[in-house]
Amino acid sequence: MKNKLTAQYILAFLIVLVFLIPVIYVIASSFKPVSELFVASPTFFPKNFTIENYVNALKRGNFARYIFNSLLVATTSTFLAVVINTMSGYALAKFKFKGSTIIMIVILSTIMLPLEVIMVPIFSVLKFFGMYNSLLALIIPAAATPTGIFLMRQYLITIPDELIQSARIDGASEWKIFTHIILPNAKPAIATLAIFSFMWRWNDYVWPLIAISDPDKYTLQLAIANFSGEYGSDYSSILAMSAISMVPMLIIFLIFQKQFVQGTVQSGMKG
Amino acid sequence: MKKESFKVYQMKQKVIPYLFLTPNLLIFSIFIIFPALIGIYYSFTDMTLFTFDTPSFVGLENYAKLITDKDFIAAVFNTFKLVFATVPIIFVVSLTLAILLVQPLKLVGLFRASYYWPVMISAVVVGIMWNWILATQSSMFNQVLITFGFDAIETLTNPRFAWWAIVYAIVWSRAGYYMIIFVAALFSVPASLYEAARMDGASRIQQFMYVTWPSLKAARLMVFILVTMEVFKTYPLAVTLTGGGPFDATQYTVQYIYEMAFRSYQVGYASAMSVIMLMFVTIITGLNFYLSKGGRNE
Repeated sequence: MKNKLTAQYILAFLIVLVFLIPVIYVIASSFKPVSELFVASPTFFPKNFTIENYVNALKRGNFARYIFNSLLVATTSTFLAVVINTMSGYALAKFKFKGSTIIMIVILSTIMLPLEVIMVPIFSVLKFFGMYNSLLALIIPAAATPTGIFLMRQYLITIPDELIQSARIDGASEWKIFTHIILPNAKPAIATLAIFSFMWRWNDYVWPLIAISDPDKYTLQLAIANFSGEYGSDYSSILAMSAISMVPMLIIFLIFQKQFVQGTVQSGMKG
Repeated sequence: MKKESFKVYQMKQKVIPYLFLTPNLLIFSIFIIFPALIGIYYSFTDMTLFTFDTPSFVGLENYAKLITDKDFIAAVFNTFKLVFATVPIIFVVSLTLAILLVQPLKLVGLFRASYYWPVMISAVVVGIMWNWILATQSSMFNQVLITFGFDAIETLTNPRFAWWAIVYAIVWSRAGYYMIIFVAALFSVPASLYEAARMDGASRIQQFMYVTWPSLKAARLMVFILVTMEVFKTYPLAVTLTGGGPFDATQYTVQYIYEMAFRSYQVGYASAMSVIMLMFVTIITGLNFYLSKGGRNE
């Protein structure tokens, strides 16, 4: 029994290495001077530690702009997603109305239409609305997610009807009920939705690829992907920016691990 | 509503849920349902990226062209091959990790966090990472081979190697996600079932075969469908890991459609490909609803 337990620990630790070493190696490489990046026999850690790759990427490479764009898109889209998906979840959880079944089917059917399948006509639609090459194209359409609605609906069903009814009797408007009773009571579900939404938008590639061609509007992921494909690309900057793109997610993950695990379990969250 | 009559109140209550649903439904209609419909329309026309007037109707011409397009068929075939190779591997790896995590180990939180965390990394950056580790003769991968006394090998310039590098990177970055689904399912297996099996003298393997495996039915199905859909859409990872090369060895359907529309400007033709892809997706999702009776989000 004891031997078996030891074997399990060894296995578990070995797997930790499989998942962590590649990440550590890339982050370590981002601190190597350019002269160490392309040598015949590379070392794991930098011999001469430097932050010049980061400085160059931010100063010469316009990467500060891309980071700003990504942060702007991820935060505003997440805010919008929380508001509108909670509204929809509330309507579906707490009201009886004609057509609710059809609306559920419509929402479900959007799961069947992943962006990859409709990217060509989406381009036309964005052009038609004048949203092509605008960050709004990354903020507004992505905010509505079927999984977000379902997550909120499942949670809001558990709020007692009496709470809403007594507020109505006190003469509160429906909007006030939503902002003063529903939103505060939905905090755990909102936290889950918010961190997933932030992750989806921060890591997004296909939406920005279709909606943006102006380099000033690039998000971090789009910039990394586009510049890595170019010949003679500045790999030192790309490594540094890849490391930077992981940092916000790592911090969020360490703080909100519980929500990530719950969200994954509850709905197989897919953005 | 100070002195509103009950009727007015009732009227209001009828309208309100629609108002709450409006923002979402507007976005879904404009950015998902409407594009899907015009995409089907485009697929019957000779639309290009620079057609500003009404495109001409060409009937089934695009679809006829598809059947003989060797590159498209190769990309679709390659995508299915990727699905068939990757899905079972992710399935086994994530289930194994989950079983390891439900053992009574200390530091289980640390293990879970380490296995799960690559899920947070974007596909673009996962591609960059593995490209950096694998590409070229002087990569860290070859350096490790040399350290252990092997010769350096051809890596991402070799089609077979590049193809399996994509599989590896997908498994590496996504197994943790499906592991969590399995962990939750394993915890919900009643302990009494195991006790009863042990009392009947069942071995560990028998316990797994007759208790664990049947109890995981719903989770197995969910993981199977989610992974299939996900691998089917593989694109960003290949962009930065292999660029679709060498010799299109890692070019999949989504990349082919994207390049047909936005590099060759053949919108009508690319739309016909999207419709075919939509059919595949519908079949996979339909299968999901059929098998799980629509209960995936419950």
